[in-house]
Amino acid sequence: MTYCVDMILPFDYQTPKTLKEACRLLGEAKGKAKVIAGGTDLVIRLRNEEEKPDLLVDVTCLEELKGIEESDGTLSIGATVTHSEISDSSIVKRYGSVLAKAASQIGSPQIRNLGTIGGNIINASPAADTLPALMVLNAVGRVVSSESEREVPVRQLLESPYKSALKPDELLVRIQFKKLSQDTCCSFHRLARREAMAIARMSLALLFRMRDGNISDFRFSPGAVLPVPDRLEEVETFLEGRSPEEDLLRAAACKVSEAIVKRSGIRPSTSYKAPVIEALFLRAMREAMQQCQSNK
Amino acid sequence: MEVNLRFTLNGRMIHVMVPPHWTLLRVLRETLGLTGTKEGCGIGECGACTVLMNGKPVNACLILAPKAEGKSIETVEALASQDSLHPLQKSFIQHGAVQCGFCTPGILMSAKALLEDKPHPDKEEVKEAISGHLCRCTGYQQIIEAIQRVGEKVKR
Ligand SMILES: Cc1cc2nc3c(=O)[nH]c(=O)nc-3n(C[C@H](O)[C@H](O)[C@H](O)COP(=O)(O)OP(=O)(O)OC[C@H]3O[C@@H](n4cnc5c(N)ncnc54)[C@H](O)[C@@H]3O)c2cc1C
Ligand code: FES
Ligand code: FES
Repeated sequence: MTYCVDMILPFDYQTPKTLKEACRLLGEAKGKAKVIAGGTDLVIRLRNEEEKPDLLVDVTCLEELKGIEESDGTLSIGATVTHSEISDSSIVKRYGSVLAKAASQIGSPQIRNLGTIGGNIINASPAADTLPALMVLNAVGRVVSSESEREVPVRQLLESPYKSALKPDELLVRIQFKKLSQDTCCSFHRLARREAMAIARMSLALLFRMRDGNISDFRFSPGAVLPVPDRLEEVETFLEGRSPEEDLLRAAACKVSEAIVKRSGIRPSTSYKAPVIEALFLRAMREAMQQCQSNK
Repeated sequence: MEVNLRFTLNGRMIHVMVPPHWTLLRVLRETLGLTGTKEGCGIGECGACTVLMNGKPVNACLILAPKAEGKSIETVEALASQDSLHPLQKSFIQHGAVQCGFCTPGILMSAKALLEDKPHPDKEEVKEAISGHLCRCTGYQQIIEAIQRVGEKVKR
């Protein structure tokens, strides 16, 4: 890759202090503005001239987009909360540990101090690490513009690889999910070329509870193997209500790779990924089962 | 367009006018003449440009200048005093943790943040803290020892 320090093209820059003003700036720019949060994805795109905005709207001073809040039954995370804040948060560790685990494995300490959860979602990378965790948490985003306000499940915030479903004048304000009950077992795993600093080549998030010896409310999402991250319902229904014997888990692992091959079409990398994702799935299931044992 | 920036740099309040598309790295090196902070990859992967922003290590190559407004920024130039090197700098020299030296300023800043948070880190904590840095020369072992040894001295 070539670059030099001068390579970023000029643009205007605004750091609005209120949500209303941020929405107004985005609305008036008629698609020529970009939102910037941590900038860890966007600055690289600016450098590569993949984006040429006239204006950047920095959203990191907006109160509505900050902080991790807990209310009866729900956890709400501001869009500009960083991966470091999430992985250090005792509330997220307690009520959504799958997300804390995912955030703690992103990039490097420096990237986690800058990169935000909102940026990770809206960048819509197939390999974004928080997405599988947010999918199994049934997380919902609150999206705001001057004209409207809507609540959108995270899956619906993603359109295609590197393209979110937000309109140019819309802002992601917060991400919310139901607190996990304390008997929930969950696991996030990722494989990367190098431990730190490699975008995940493959990852997965899963969670479930044990009811009378059977798997209940099983949710599963693989990362970096589908064009757009998603839950795998075929695997979820296969395991629902069944007793987690070794044979069943192995059969489920085969279902996982079948489902991924089917959904992603035949891609060159899929054949090598299949056995690896099966192994990763089994490892994650065993880890979560152990957690269930110790929860008792 | 230029933006008016005020921030604390190595403990002193400063004021500069810069274009918003400049990175903090460029402002430090070109406007302020602080060339201790290095540019390696320019894309967040090597850690050579690491500075502390409000006490936390970040990649200055990924930060646009306006983001420094109101913040406290520390660079490698803050470490040594008039007449002596910082204990981390001394330890790096003693342990042969500096070879070509290109990665050193960034790693020193991550090490400083680590020791402020955890004065006696174990080896895994040191490894994690420097996981965002590439060093082509040393193989990391000497760097890890240099950082851990400073932690031990503080203990005594
Ligand atoms: C060296 C390096 C390593 C990395 N490693 C990983 C990794 O291991 N795993 C991983 O998942 N990612 C990784 N990333 C990618 C990146 O750090 C994350 O995706 C990060 O979470 C992006 O957040 P940000 O705040 O920096 O986003 P920005 O760059 O500020 O924004 C990203 C996109 O989202 C939009 N956006 C941001 N916030 C909002 C909002 N509130 N409303 C509307 N739109 C918004 C922006 O317009 C832009 O299009 C890495 C990046 C680098 C440079
Ligand atoms: S120059 Fe910033 S991380 Fe390499
Ligand atoms: S000493 Fe040369 S890169 Fe680290």
